[in-house]
Parts: sequence; structure tokens; C-alpha cells
Amino acid sequence: MCLDDQILNTYLDNELTEPWKSQVEEHLSYCSSCRTRYQNLLKISDAVKSAELTADEIQPHQDRVLSMIEKNYLSKGKGKKSFLHRTFKLSAPQLIGVAAAFVVVFVGSWAVFGHNNATDSTILLPDVNTTIDLNNITQTRSSDNAATSKSLENYSLDEILKNLDARGYDVDIRLKSIQPLSLEKISSEVKVIAKIKDKGITITSDGLAKDAEGTIIATGVLLEDNQIVASDGTILWNAEETTVIGD
Amino acid sequence: MEIRSGDELAFRQVYNEVFPVVMKVAYHVTYNQDVAEDICQDAFIRFYDKDMSFPSMDDAKFWLIRVVKNLSINHVKRKMRESASLEKVMRGPQVNPFKDGASELILKESTAAVRKAVSELPEIYKTVIVLREYAGLNYKEIAGVLKISESNVKVRVHRARKELEAKLDREEVNVP
Repeated sequence: MCLDDQILNTYLDNELTEPWKSQVEEHLSYCSSCRTRYQNLLKISDAVKSAELTADEIQPHQDRVLSMIEKNYLSKGKGKKSFLHRTFKLSAPQLIGVAAAFVVVFVGSWAVFGHNNATDSTILLPDVNTTIDLNNITQTRSSDNAATSKSLENYSLDEILKNLDARGYDVDIRLKSIQPLSLEKISSEVKVIAKIKDKGITITSDGLAKDAEGTIIATGVLLEDNQIVASDGTILWNAEETTVIGD
Repeated sequence: MEIRSGDELAFRQVYNEVFPVVMKVAYHVTYNQDVAEDICQDAFIRFYDKDMSFPSMDDAKFWLIRVVKNLSINHVKRKMRESASLEKVMRGPQVNPFKDGASELILKESTAAVRKAVSELPEIYKTVIVLREYAGLNYKEIAGVLKISESNVKVRVHRARKELEAKLDREEVNVP
């Protein structure tokens, strides 16, 4: 009976124990087909081994990682561990020392601050021992104090409105003798006062210049001496270009 | 000889002896030298930080191998998930991971083919082959690192070599 591959592999890896190892060797000595098979498996194993990452390939990685670890871990020793993660190992005398230090600090602080409590109170709250007469009384007005003197005059109209608005008041402010304009009034009162020849531009009484599509191309324009001028006085269209539409 | 991983002298000793082994394990699972370096660094930092005690150098080595093996497998799995979802979007040309940087020039063609074949093994076969051929562990040690039985190791080694044989035959590699 011939050997199967699994036994040959185990033998190849030197994992076969006696007496099986000797039996396999004996069989291989006379069975050429098993020997060929074994040679084949050996070839595969050797081929795999030959593709190993070489020492030359490993070295630079080994050096790089070591220098990184040396820099960040070894040289700093255990000191690089954060305070919270450190384990404290104290001997009995050290512990007593630490405890004693706490007692000293506690007693000391009581001695210093506890004592001060009694004396400081007289300084912090001085007694009034002068008698009150006209010489030591001065009259003051509430407005002398900057913090309390803010009357309504000190606020701008804007601030007052904001304040009232914040309190929930709906405030409507009007100037005397000025009537708010309603939209209907505006449209009814606007009239075309002039046209620009060949351009389809119309000038209306509200100071707007509109092109043929009705898009506003200038505002604040005026009709002066049959020519159209801008609010800063520059002449936009001269009298020859302008056709005045009078009433 | 007891090893304390947080002790600088012991750490250096373990590092010198074990780094090449774990670097091989990480590389032959991930097949990316930069990734393997990161994984080894991560493992050794954990090793130092945890300040553990090992009965022997071998125990420290097995701990490091196990950590590196797990990190490497996690990386491969994550990488596979990412590339699978990426491939759905765009079936771009596959980058050959066996031609990285300077090693490309000196890499023999058969080496590249073998590395490719190993990288394509299913995870359970790949780990036993890597631990056997590159980390040089025996069946008992592999069983310990992978927490499986020795007879299971035996079966996996056998199946891994069988798959490798098929793959390498297909690639028509002249095995030395």
C-alpha cells in the first residue's frame, strides 16, 4: 500500500514520529512513485521557502520601527505614561511621609486662614464712629451717579423703539404733517413727462427713466429746460433727444 | 528565563530576535511591506506598553506572532471588502502587490509567482503555510498560535500544499 500525501507532508515537515518515520523511509527506498510524489511536495515547499522576504528586505523596516519605538517609548521610559495611568508604588515610610505632609498642609492652612478670619472682619467692615453733622453730610443727586442718571434723553430713538419692540409694543411713528403715501396714490399720480427719441425710454414724474420693456435704467432724474438731468446735475439726454410731454 | 516586555533590555532582546520572524509573517499574509511594517510596529508597541511577563523567549515570540497574524488577517479582510465594493464601481486594472518599490528589480519571476500563489490561498491555509515555511514553527507551535489541534494543522498543511501545487502548475513556474 502506498503513502498518501498527508503522511508525506508530515514526514517532509519532520513531524512524523517513530515507528512511522522509519516505515515511511523504508517505503520510499523501494517505491519510485511515492518517491516522485515526495520529491514533488519537497519542490513545492522549497519554492515557497525561496520566496521568503529576505534579510535585506527586512533590515530597513527593523531599523525604522526600532528608532521610532526608541524615540517615543524607550528613551522616555515609563515617564511617558500619563499621570492618571501611572501606578504608584509607595513604601510604608513614603506613605507615612505623604500622610504627614497632608497633616502639615491642613493644620498650616487652618493656622493661617483660620486665624485671619477673626482679625480681617474688623478691616473689611469698619465701624462708623464719627457723629453725623452738617460737615460730614453732602447732598447728592441721583443724576450725579452716571449709572443711575440715564434718562430717556440718553437713548436714541432707535434704542427706545427696540426696547419697546422687545416688550411687545407695536409702535408706529409718524412725522407731523406728512401723510404716508399709499401705492395707489403713487401709481395714479405718476405721469410720463418726457420721452427719449428713437430709444423708447420714458421719463416719469417720480424721477424714473424706464426703457421700452419697463425696466428702470435710472432714478432721480429730472426734466430741466427740456433736457433730462441726473440728481447730481449731469445731463443724461439733451433737449434735442428729449420730447417733452406737457399737460 | 523570564521575560518582562516592559523592561527595556528584555524588550531589545526580544525585538532583535523576533522582529524578522513577525515581519515575515505580516508580509506573507498582507504582501505589502509598508503595511507589514506598520503592523509589526503596532504589535511591538503593544508588547512594550502592556508590560507582560513571559516564561520564556519563545512564549514572547508566540504572543507577538499571534498578534501580528491577527492584525495582518484583519488588514487583508478589510482590504478585500474595500476592493470588492470598489470593483463593483470600477473594474480598473488590478495593481500587482508583488512589485513594490525597490524589491521589484531584484524579484525573480518565480518568486513573484510563488508570492502570488500564497497570497491567493484561503485564509486558513495561508496562515498555516506562512507559520510553517516563513516563521519556521512546528505543528505543535502552529496549533498553539492558531488555537487549533495538531491534527488540524496536519490537514491544513496538506491541503495548502495541494492548492499551491495546482496554482504553481497553472502558472508554469520552474520550481527550483
